Amino acid sequence: MRDRLMLSMRASHAFMTIFAVGAVLCALWGSATGDSFYLRLGTEALILAGLAMSVELLLGYGGLLSLGQALYFGAGAYVSALVLRETPSFWLAMGAAFGFTLALGIIGGLIANRVRGVYFALITFGMAQVAAKTVYNTRELGGSDGLIGVPQIAVPLGPYSVSAADPVAFFLFVLGFMTLLYLLLAYLLGTPFGRVLTAMKANEKRVPFLGYSIWRARMVAYVVAALVAGVSGALYPMLRGFVSPELMFFETSGDALIMAVIGGLGTLVGAFYGAALITALKSVIGSWTEHHLIVIGALFVAAILFMPKGLIGRIRPRAEAILGGKRAIRAEAQEEHP
Amino acid sequence: MSDPAMHIAGIGISFGGLRAVDNVDFQAERNAITTVIGPNGAGKTTLFNLISGALRPDRGRVELAGVDVTGFAPAALQRAGLARSFQITNLFFDLTVWENLRIASQVLEPVSRALLPVAASRRALARVDALIERFGLEDVETDLAGALSHGEQRRLEIAMALASEPSVLLLDEPTQGMSHSDTEDTAALIRGLTSDVSILLIEHDIGLVMSLSDHVVVMNQGRKLAEGTPETIRANPEVQAAYFGSA
Ligand SMILES: Nc1ncnc2c1ncn2[C@@H]1O[C@H](COP(=O)(O)OP(=O)(O)O)[C@@H](O)[C@H]1O
Ligand SMILES: [Mg+2]
Repeated sequence: MRDRLMLSMRASHAFMTIFAVGAVLCALWGSATGDSFYLRLGTEALILAGLAMSVELLLGYGGLLSLGQALYFGAGAYVSALVLRETPSFWLAMGAAFGFTLALGIIGGLIANRVRGVYFALITFGMAQVAAKTVYNTRELGGSDGLIGVPQIAVPLGPYSVSAADPVAFFLFVLGFMTLLYLLLAYLLGTPFGRVLTAMKANEKRVPFLGYSIWRARMVAYVVAALVAGVSGALYPMLRGFVSPELMFFETSGDALIMAVIGGLGTLVGAFYGAALITALKSVIGSWTEHHLIVIGALFVAAILFMPKGLIGRIRPRAEAILGGKRAIRAEAQEEHP
Repeated sequence: MSDPAMHIAGIGISFGGLRAVDNVDFQAERNAITTVIGPNGAGKTTLFNLISGALRPDRGRVELAGVDVTGFAPAALQRAGLARSFQITNLFFDLTVWENLRIASQVLEPVSRALLPVAASRRALARVDALIERFGLEDVETDLAGALSHGEQRRLEIAMALASEPSVLLLDEPTQGMSHSDTEDTAALIRGLTSDVSILLIEHDIGLVMSLSDHVVVMNQGRKLAEGTPETIRANPEVQAAYFGSA
């Protein structure tokens, strides 16, 4: 296969299939044992994978470091919670979160895309901090307590209905939702538009001389990433029944970044593995010691030093070789030893 | 009669006190090779930057086939049919040769294809095949651009500029650093392009300039010193003093 980027994406699909099968097995185990704690934790990991995918799109494919993706995740969560408290309708909440993060993403994109590099990172960080502090200080949004009492809804899916109160069913629903989001992004990245992003990451200065406006490409990527974060966030109150300003804090943006990096930037599917790994680590280490952040931080440093391409970035070349043969191996070797 | 491929009128830019390009005028005829020569620092690359939109001119005008395109952004100029290569190799080093050419050809497709899979871009993919064959890149098409030899990278650089089927092609020292035989091959290749495209070339190898060019523009310290056929340029005493004498 000559299209190496397509080959890489196929390899990612193989890992996505493995992940989904593993997740379904977990759901079966949860259903058999009557567990709800771990299934809800797993559902949260899947929701965070959505946020990590938005980081993947921006940083892993477009080379744009955003330190404030939690802004859109939190905005989606709050809008969803506000709607659900009035009208417990899944599609209404999802639609409202989509529309709101679309508008917010356009505004944020217009501001952040005035600058590049470090300044872009700082502006995205600043905008998220401003939004988080504003929510924190707004009594109508529950202030520092956030909004509680979001009812447990039923998600209507044609003839079926999935109850958010059922841990197994809701876990499987969120798994399906995130898989769909993954497939949409994978499709987008395989179009001429998506390839402009890849080119932008590889050599931004060359792109205008191919006939493409960098500003436009960055803008579209930014807004799509905001939407991905927003609709993922909209699922959060359906799972937990509440939202709090922490969802918008830097820790959330930072976690998403760590998940994307540990999973493997530029692999897309790495977002799922990273989210699962970090969520599991936080939970396990959190039960041993209060200082779980120190451990996570140290692991992050070690991962960057010893596995800079992340988990999937490290093992994907083998899958590419199986799927694509000798040519893939040769280009891969060139990447290792330029 | 139709307009020339390109008309440059009184173009200029200053960097601080330095007049890097100062009031330069000339025309590039259609399907011809117009070559800009001059010593290092004469302002040739800066002239290309002004024409290709990388820099905005302080003064003067650029016309493509009679249409004023002065101050257009590079992306708009590219879509107006002007493409360029770079003196300092400017590729997507982490992407394969095939993908470099594919992304450069992609602009041939209508915008309505922007959200279809790249495999649906028939015209762009056919263009990639043609370029790979024409530039002899078959053996390295799935290698990373960054892993190619210098000569191969320079060839890819030209192929990238040609990918969009431009009407005007700017080539900034395409043979720089190439071996003698590579230079000969590339010269023949450039000569073969003029049936489809009008070329503006910057070239150092004086033998090549004389054999390849239809028209020569000589620059020195930002200004146009002379222009004419290769023969008249070679015979011009002022040019000999400023350029051939020092070279
Ligand atoms: N962006 C820039 N800023 C300041 N000076 C520049 C810039 N680009 C070129 N110059 C100066 O303009 C002059 C012409 O450079 P250049 O066009 O690269 O010459 P040539 O290509 O003919 O060798 C040189 O003195 C160079 O240092
Ligand atoms: Mg130069």
